Amino acid sequence: MAEAASSTIEKNNLTLKSSYGDEFVLEESIAIQSVTIKNMVEDGCSSSVIPLSKVDTGTLIKVIEYMKMHSSTSSNEEEIQNFDKEFVRISIKTILNILEAANFLDIRSLLDLCAEAVANRIKNKTPEVVRKIFNITSDFTPEEEAEIRNETPWAFEGDLDHSLD
Amino acid sequence: MLIPGVTALLSFMYSRNILRFSVSSNLRNSCWQSFNMMPPLDVLSDLPKSVIDEVLMRLSLQDAVRTSILSKKWRYNWCTLPQLKLDQTLWKTTKDLTCFTSNFTKIIYHVLTLHEGPITQFTLSIPHLEGCPNFDNLIYFLSRNGIQHLVLELQGGNLYTLPSSFFTCSQMRHLSLKNCLIRPPPVFKGFERLISLKLNRVTISSELLGSLISHSPLLENLVLQYSDISNPVEISAPKLRSFVFIGNIHFIRLKYVPLLSKVSYEPRAFSVEAEHDLAKIFESIPAIEHLCWNLQYVKARNAGPVEFIPTRLLSAFNCLKRLYVSWICLREFFELSIALCLIRSSPYLEEIEIETCDTEGGKYYEPVPCGVVDEIPASFSDMTFNYLRTVKLRHVTGIGPEMQLIKVLLAKSPALLRMVIDPEVGEDKKSLKVLAEITKFQRASSKAEVVYNVD
Repeated sequence: MAEAASSTIEKNNLTLKSSYGDEFVLEESIAIQSVTIKNMVEDGCSSSVIPLSKVDTGTLIKVIEYMKMHSSTSSNEEEIQNFDKEFVRISIKTILNILEAANFLDIRSLLDLCAEAVANRIKNKTPEVVRKIFNITSDFTPEEEAEIRNETPWAFEGDLDHSLD
Repeated sequence: MLIPGVTALLSFMYSRNILRFSVSSNLRNSCWQSFNMMPPLDVLSDLPKSVIDEVLMRLSLQDAVRTSILSKKWRYNWCTLPQLKLDQTLWKTTKDLTCFTSNFTKIIYHVLTLHEGPITQFTLSIPHLEGCPNFDNLIYFLSRNGIQHLVLELQGGNLYTLPSSFFTCSQMRHLSLKNCLIRPPPVFKGFERLISLKLNRVTISSELLGSLISHSPLLENLVLQYSDISNPVEISAPKLRSFVFIGNIHFIRLKYVPLLSKVSYEPRAFSVEAEHDLAKIFESIPAIEHLCWNLQYVKARNAGPVEFIPTRLLSAFNCLKRLYVSWICLREFFELSIALCLIRSSPYLEEIEIETCDTEGGKYYEPVPCGVVDEIPASFSDMTFNYLRTVKLRHVTGIGPEMQLIKVLLAKSPALLRMVIDPEVGEDKKSLKVLAEITKFQRASSKAEVVYNVD
């Protein structure tokens, strides 16, 4: 065991610690897709464990899965595209957690992927449906709502989608 | 005993719970509190503004503006977006289109009055319309708000004459115009930070186009499609890497393009009047790596005598890695000669893709003579394609020139991995015969796989 641990250190591995305290060992070359981690490595803060106090365990597992796929040299463009498509076929709650983590960790391509997935759940939908999907509580009075609709009526016209998909 | 992970999870939930209730105290939340349960979290609204902007910038203006009614937090989120996009999603029905001009004027008015802060990127893409509405106010507004990336794609109707404020957008980096007329004030030279320029059906004088390009020292991508150019344009662009052109190729004079590596040509007029005319088109592109050539509008009838197409170009394509030729009729002597000349001039090719076609009614101006077909392999005797890995041939009918080309490429490419052949639709009966013949061809590469796609 001890031997294995020392050899992993030689390979330039990093240990990432989630907000729950769970630790994940990851090759540095994979982890530095995160600009935040890359900067920490360059500043010499990576010798010990890197605490990611804003990323919970479940989210960190997904982020690592993404980084591993995107640094793999054996997968071609098409495989990566298919992976991305499948990757965001998850609950909107999980996507939002990953989006927040991608922003904190500064992983541009992951941020793009999740922002697009979130935007797809807003596109062409009624405000009522968007509120339901994202648990947004309206704090407007009916009068205020009418005023907003009146301000830019063209934005509320047309056949809007009522589905929660 | 509790498992440590579960404890952590519970404490995390507890902490989020406490956090949530300490900031909001409305009745709904206190109900949740009395049951000691967590309300469904509104994670989206609590994300940093920059992340919310990332989401909103992926929406059309209509979708983005509609978020203003979600809650007070969302009321003005869209108003500070640095990127706005008005496209056809706003005008889906013909009814929308008929009142387009008045609606459009209203929308622009709202954007102009409600938006604050810089707008770096603006896309306006509108469908066919009769009378052209006035975009001058919009352009003026954008010119005063740091526009860097402007897409103005208009369709149908009259050309839109760009107002003088357009020429003052000194931050412009990416510009794409469709159906516009560029007539700048005399002092205008160009946009010195421009990186990409796309002009589609844009009327501009050849002198101005040349000047615009040479005053954009950072220009990397240039697309000129169907633009009305009536005189030669000199192109000097030290950083140009990609050039897409549809039009009269004889008006393009590439003067200084040392880094140009990707070229896509679709000549609307093309003819050779002397022996070096073909070479002249390519001699000024020393770094060319990818060449796409669409021959749809190259007609053997008026393109010139086949004698002016050399066996190979004087200066070889020593960097060319990918050659893609489309709309080529290999039964036509002139077109076959061009294809063979380009291939023979490119010893370092890694990928060849040829999409053939047949002339309408099967009439040829000058069919390939039988003797020439038989001599195709011999004309490649002094060369091998040591780097060629992929060959794709589409709409193959099994005619002599095609079969000889397949034969030569299999015999001369020791590194070939894959040759994909798509037969022309409706040629099923011939397919088997063609395939049987190809399997007999000698292959220089032991790894070469021939994929013959039959449905």
